[in-house]
Amino acid sequence: MSGFVTLDGVRKVYHMGEVEIVAADGIDFQIEKGEFAVVVGPSGAGKTTVLNILGGMDTATEGSVEVDGAFISQYSQKQLTAYRRDDIGFVFQFYNLIPNLTALENVELALQICRDPMDAEEVLVDVGLGERLSNFPAQLSGGEQQRVSIARALAKNPKLLLCDEPTGALDYNTGKSILKLLQDTCREKGMTVILITHNQAITPMADRVIKIKNGRVSRMIENNNPVSVDSIEW
Amino acid sequence: MGTKATRKDFYMEIRRSLGRFLSIFFIVALGVAFFSGIRSSEPDMRATGDAYFDGADLMDIKTVSTLGITADDIRAIGNVDGVEKVEGGYSADFLCQGEDREIAVHIMSMLPSMNKVTVTEGRLPQKPGECLTDDEMHYKVGDKIKLKAGDGKKVTDTLTTDTLTVVGTGNTPCYISFSRGNTTIGTGALSGFFVVADSTFDMDVYTEAYVQAEGAKELTAYTDAYEDRVKEIQDNIEAITGERGQIRRQELTADAEEELDKAKKELDDGKKEAEEELSEAEQTLKDGEEQLADAREQISDGRAQLEKARATLNSKQKELDNAKAEYASGKQQIEDGEAAYVQGMADFGAQKAAFDKQKAEAESKFAQQKEQLDQLNHLCNRMAADVAQKKAQLSTLEVTIDNLNQQISGMNPADPQLPDLQDQLQKAEADRDDLRDNILPAALAELQGYQTQYEQSKKAYDAAKDEADSRLAAGQQELDAGAAKLSATKTKLDSSGAELASAWNRIQDGQTQIDNGWTELEKQEDTLDKAEAELAASEKELADGRKEYEEAKSEADQKIADGEQKIADAEEEIGKIKNPKWYVYDRSTLTEYTGYGDNADRMRAIGKVFPVLFFLVAALISLTSMTRMVEEQRTEIGTMKALGYHKLTIASKYLGYALLATLGGSIFGVLFGEKVLPYIIIYAYGIMYHHIPDILTPYNMTYAAAATLAALACTIGATLAACYKELSAQPAVLMRPPAPKNGKRVFMERVTFIWKRLSFTWKSTVRNLMRYKKRFFMTVFGIGGCMALMLVGFGIKDSVFAISELQYSQIQVYDGMAYLEEDISDEKQQNTAEFMGRDTDVEQYTEVNMRNITLVNGSRERDAYECVPKSVEDIGSFIHFRDRRSHDKYELTDEGAIISEKTAKLLDAKAGDTIYVKDEEEGNHPVKIASICENYMGHYIYMTPGLYEDVYGERAAYNCYFFKAEDSSKSALEKTGQKILRQDGVLSISYLRDIQKQLDDMLKSLNLVIVVLIVSAGMLAFVVLFNLNNINITERQRELATIKVLGFYDPEVAAYVYRENVILTFIGAGVGMVMGRLLHLFIIRTVEVDAAMFGRNINFPSYVYSLLFTVAFSAFVNWVMYFKLKRIDMVESLKSIE
Repeated sequence: MSGFVTLDGVRKVYHMGEVEIVAADGIDFQIEKGEFAVVVGPSGAGKTTVLNILGGMDTATEGSVEVDGAFISQYSQKQLTAYRRDDIGFVFQFYNLIPNLTALENVELALQICRDPMDAEEVLVDVGLGERLSNFPAQLSGGEQQRVSIARALAKNPKLLLCDEPTGALDYNTGKSILKLLQDTCREKGMTVILITHNQAITPMADRVIKIKNGRVSRMIENNNPVSVDSIEW
Repeated sequence: MGTKATRKDFYMEIRRSLGRFLSIFFIVALGVAFFSGIRSSEPDMRATGDAYFDGADLMDIKTVSTLGITADDIRAIGNVDGVEKVEGGYSADFLCQGEDREIAVHIMSMLPSMNKVTVTEGRLPQKPGECLTDDEMHYKVGDKIKLKAGDGKKVTDTLTTDTLTVVGTGNTPCYISFSRGNTTIGTGALSGFFVVADSTFDMDVYTEAYVQAEGAKELTAYTDAYEDRVKEIQDNIEAITGERGQIRRQELTADAEEELDKAKKELDDGKKEAEEELSEAEQTLKDGEEQLADAREQISDGRAQLEKARATLNSKQKELDNAKAEYASGKQQIEDGEAAYVQGMADFGAQKAAFDKQKAEAESKFAQQKEQLDQLNHLCNRMAADVAQKKAQLSTLEVTIDNLNQQISGMNPADPQLPDLQDQLQKAEADRDDLRDNILPAALAELQGYQTQYEQSKKAYDAAKDEADSRLAAGQQELDAGAAKLSATKTKLDSSGAELASAWNRIQDGQTQIDNGWTELEKQEDTLDKAEAELAASEKELADGRKEYEEAKSEADQKIADGEQKIADAEEEIGKIKNPKWYVYDRSTLTEYTGYGDNADRMRAIGKVFPVLFFLVAALISLTSMTRMVEEQRTEIGTMKALGYHKLTIASKYLGYALLATLGGSIFGVLFGEKVLPYIIIYAYGIMYHHIPDILTPYNMTYAAAATLAALACTIGATLAACYKELSAQPAVLMRPPAPKNGKRVFMERVTFIWKRLSFTWKSTVRNLMRYKKRFFMTVFGIGGCMALMLVGFGIKDSVFAISELQYSQIQVYDGMAYLEEDISDEKQQNTAEFMGRDTDVEQYTEVNMRNITLVNGSRERDAYECVPKSVEDIGSFIHFRDRRSHDKYELTDEGAIISEKTAKLLDAKAGDTIYVKDEEEGNHPVKIASICENYMGHYIYMTPGLYEDVYGERAAYNCYFFKAEDSSKSALEKTGQKILRQDGVLSISYLRDIQKQLDDMLKSLNLVIVVLIVSAGMLAFVVLFNLNNINITERQRELATIKVLGFYDPEVAAYVYRENVILTFIGAGVGMVMGRLLHLFIIRTVEVDAAMFGRNINFPSYVYSLLFTVAFSAFVNWVMYFKLKRIDMVESLKSIE
């Protein structure tokens, strides 16, 4: 019952005036260290809530969240900020780069507050952007921007890489190459990656698939033979 | 407006972005309030003044004539076209005693309806001799004021009485401020006014006529319409003055001649009567004098007799006094003798006692010695007895031995008794031998020793006793002689005492006789004194009578002479009577009336520039807000468009938003601004014009409309432009996120050594600043504008308040001026100058010629003081001539005059130009300007005496002293001043300290205006900063959320934003300083009055204050923003780009 990441009975209730909206209604799952996990589900199922809670951007109303032995569900706001700083790498759907910093500077921006960073330039070379270090986000394509975003997340050397629909704003091929980059990172560096998507088609590439529906985990599949991204089509 | 959904969306939009709505609302409100408020101040000031003038029925036109105005004249003026009402009044200026010096006052009669006086205390004057005094003077109800004419005539020539009783205090619309205007008497300045009933004046004709123009009351004072209307009627009145003048002259000539005849006759009668009376009086005086001479002789006889008696008495007294002295000395001798006798007795007693003591002592000593002698004798006798006994013993023993020997010899040797007897014999022989050989000789020797001792002692005792006995006998003899001498002395003393007592009795008798003689003498003398006093009284009476007679005589002569003179004068006068000159003035003849209008004009000058800038900043900010809003809602616009809404419907939401915020803000601004700001400003001026009772602040719709329309044009125009830009795009484009703005390298990156050292946040900050140029300029202009406004506010204060300090401690550095009487004699002038030089309280003085002249340059004219110092060397220590900017010193030379800066500017003259001193009789005199000196108050032209002669062809007459006091504290200075004023020939004194105080008081009224400016600018700064920061944060919400997700702590996030704000604030403040400086220069030039030049400076602290205020506002806004930053939801980062 104790994986690297463990969610136990996580509930999240929003109050909108007199209306109660249950975004998560008792979610339980575990993910092991070094796994490539995909959280999949339709819009409004509670994926983003899970991501927010895991990423320390929001707190659960009920239930416990354990990451690498720490119960982050009990963290204060300040502890959560430190947690985001040191333990979490976040890849956004819309990259969220600072527009007037270059690719390199965007990565360095994240690194300057981090405890144990990697070399920014190296990481950018690793994600295949060795040539575009000093380009501004506006001068990069969507895929390249997302690579910068991934590099920014990886360079912090996080315990957990959280990806929120990383291919959502990208075309098919670019999306695929980004997924490949994430999969390779997971395989080569032993990074635990949690990817949130509504795209059922990419589940075969994952070590673990968590399906969420109506605020609950409807099914959890452990995939012993994940396939390479290249062989998936959608 | 559109559908129900769009309406709902509209309301929701306002609710959702209430902060922005309110910030536009308030910025517009502030802008409009300030613009319309300050602009309204000018018309409101006029309206306030006008309401007061109308309420008090202030005259529109005042007419005076050199020969007075008759009732006929009044009627004639009343018939002039356009004259609604005319009333005649009296006025005259007199001197009276003020608090500490003689002051000049203006006395005017109450008019039936015009120029209504407001009573502050007490009541209006009703009877002759009652008066109402100026509120600004120190008189209280019940005070009596004695008047003095200033021109040598009598008060009662003009008034029925020369003493007025105060029955009330109050104020009049003729004097709306502190200044009371000028006069021809006293110091030349009026200190106040008295209002009296017209029955107090004793004059045949009015001194002036007051006119109200038809239709003028409805017009607002100080406006062109009013002034034109009054001018028209002024001209109408002017037209009849020629004819009225002729009539008046004829009247006067006829009257005068008739009176002259009467006077001549009276004079002759008077002459005769006076002569008769005088000769009668003369006779009486002579009789009296004769009687007095007799009495005087009798008294002198009596005096002589008395003198003789006094001499006799005195010689007798002297004799008596000698006897008294002798008696006293005799008495003294006796007393001395007695004292000596007493002393002798005492001495004798002491001697006797000593002798007795001595005698007793000697006797006791001899008795003792005698006893010792007897004892010794006794001892000798006893020894002799002893020796005799021993001798007897020896003989006994001899006998015994012989017996024994006999026995023995008689006995056979064998007898048994023989040994015994032999033993006995032996023993007796031993005893006898011992006694004979030892004991007896020893006793004999001893006896002999004692006997010798006794004999010696006895001899010594006898000798001593003999000597003592003879000494005692001598002492006894001496004592007896002393006692005999004492008793002889005593007998002599007693006989002398008896002699003295009889002498004393004789002296007493003599003294009594003399005293009686004196008493008699005094009695005689009293009688004589009384007689003399009577004589003196009679003499005085006679002298008085004589004096009276002389006076009466000279008076009569004088009267006759006067009468003759008067008649001669009158004859001449009649010949001289010309047509009277009429003057027709408008209200500007009233003191300070124009000043009030000038102040309104000054307000207009402030209102021209200041609010415009204010409004500009406000408009710019609301414009930015609206543009931002439209741009932010790009997706929504796209969606609406995609849904098929009409462009106008979509735009109407934003237009409506802008309209509502702007219109609401404008209305609020107008309602608030046009009431409050003019009120504060007029209230501030009320310090100077404090009798204006009610402040009127009507709404000025023109300014309200102008401000509102301008505000609407700005926001609606901006919204329209923004909407047009968005609406012209395809919906699909709108729904896609806008292409991200390109990051750009900035110039600083080329300076690698700096750039490398910057952290990423700093890099981002620098690039951000450069990238959002619009926002950069907006913020810089916004903050700069506010900074500039505050700086101008502080700067005006600096400039305005600087002048009194500069003028009176750096330029005119003397303490006071003493004006001399006109036509002062050379001797008096010499004396005053000597006094000034001699008086130790006066540190330094210099003689100058001060004169009011009119300078002309081309078509420009300006009144100025002409100041010609007698000593060109000295004047430099009283007035510092220097250039305002460079502070270069100027010397006064014969080459040309020095002229004050503002004067030169108003005349449009430069150094080296030649200007003219106006002289209508002899033609203008040209003067060359040598240099232009710094000066803030008044207009001056300075010349050397040499130059004066060149210009006028005559020598300057010095009529004034500038002086510096040794101690220039207020009380010491006034003391010095009073001392100078007491000098014969000194007319008046004025202290620069007083002038400075008046100036400071006047300028104080600007203070509140400045506070209004500063506070408003501060408020604007706050709203602007708030709005800009708000935009900044809203715009970058996503970026900030991302940073938060990346794990930046709240303070780090804040710092990320604040860096830009701080930099922008400081750049803005820097720009503001430059803008403020320029604006200040412009405003100061516009605000300035002709009489003064304001400083051009802004003091360093003002920069600091403005900066601190700006920074403080910025800091406060950022602090408020911190909470907004904290509330940014990280989930924002997950949202798609809008």
